[in-house]
Amino acid sequence: MLISEMDIITPQTVNDCLLILSKKETEHRIIAGGTDAVVRMKEGKWLPSTWINIKGLKELRYIKEINGTIHIGPLITHTDIIHSSLLQKKANILVEAAREVGAIQMQNMGTIGGNIGTASPAGDTIPALYVLNAAVELQSLHNKRLIPINLLFTGPGRTVIKPNEMITNIIIQPQTENEIGIFQKLGPRKAQSISIVNVAIMLSMAKDRECLGGKIAFGSVAPTIIRAKKCEALLPLNPLTDDIIENIAKIAWKEVMPITDGRATAEYRRDMASALLERGLYRLMRRWERK
Amino acid sequence: MKELNFTVNGSLHSVSCHPAKTLLDVLREDLDMTASKECCGKGECGSCSVLLNGEVVCSCLVLVGQLENEEITTCEGIGLTANMDVIQESFVEEGATQCGYCTPGIIVASKAFLKNIDQVPTIDEIKTALGGNLCRCTGYTKIINAIQMAAKKELQEKGAMPAV
Repeated sequence: MLISEMDIITPQTVNDCLLILSKKETEHRIIAGGTDAVVRMKEGKWLPSTWINIKGLKELRYIKEINGTIHIGPLITHTDIIHSSLLQKKANILVEAAREVGAIQMQNMGTIGGNIGTASPAGDTIPALYVLNAAVELQSLHNKRLIPINLLFTGPGRTVIKPNEMITNIIIQPQTENEIGIFQKLGPRKAQSISIVNVAIMLSMAKDRECLGGKIAFGSVAPTIIRAKKCEALLPLNPLTDDIIENIAKIAWKEVMPITDGRATAEYRRDMASALLERGLYRLMRRWERK
Repeated sequence: MKELNFTVNGSLHSVSCHPAKTLLDVLREDLDMTASKECCGKGECGSCSVLLNGEVVCSCLVLVGQLENEEITTCEGIGLTANMDVIQESFVEEGATQCGYCTPGIIVASKAFLKNIDQVPTIDEIKTALGGNLCRCTGYTKIINAIQMAAKKELQEKGAMPAV
């Protein structure tokens, strides 16, 4: 398919969009912000005969609190996340991750649904969604299902989303009073860069440096985002002194399965996974003590 | 080919082209507005920055078929030689441009940034706001100075800051 022969259709409602997706005659692909889709089109990787442009679907652009959970519409942009007072208060780790996505231009265009749908192992918001226990609602014309985020991705760029489905909601568990979170990223430069390694850490704290438990999710060091279960298991055993933090971080290399690519070698990624975890835990403790 | 309607710099345009053409190509080839430049073509350099409904975006990653009834402002719409914007005047005064390739994109990104300020931004704030715009000549110092100068002028005009 030549780019000059592609069509773009703009459904006016989610239902219209699902109706189009349910038909199999032409090869479609959804486009929202386009920050990944257009790049892939130019590279010749994504050449659908029809782009389904959902950028303007207002019904998918919301952030609201419902029964102790937060619902985020897939067309919420990174800028929307950064400016949301609800997320700043109750899911600060997602705000931190959104700030690290590209630069302003990308944050204004790129959407959280797109970040999930693209399924890049380096996607910045995804580790944050892991530690916020996110579930992604997938809808087709006659069905609706809710998939926990850790079961959504099957490999780089691959998900369990079927061709006739689209993301219609992202549900996260808000952080409680004693939960603190941090997102750390290492990229080749500060702005506009793809992660070499990133990590989202969420800890549930008791008094002082006593930790009741926590979640650690690494990005860009395996085919999908991974939870560092061995490191997590060590969190509640001892108060998180600087020595203990160093020990926990040393285990991180056992959890990650990085590859060498244009951005970094596997060895460097392994080392940096440990370094980022150590830095993240250390900074979290500093924040906790100031709180 | 499709007939597409959208607003550029305040006037309604009707363009006939294939809908998966990028906004950048349409601006340059169909509308002869060549301020926005193509450099990386994948959203890393910012030289194609334009305002879409007031927000800065990369025009090389927007498909024109997505723009029905939307409003676009390019560097031409911010000011031309005869009627320069405060930001453009400051860039001239400060000499904040060398080859000029990145300059229109930086003017557009600065315009979006300075819209919301209530005090002269710090160097760090400017670096964050312009993180998506690369310049390979100036070393950025003069660009940052020019933006601070423009901020001062704008605040003085608004009366938010005493004139020096």
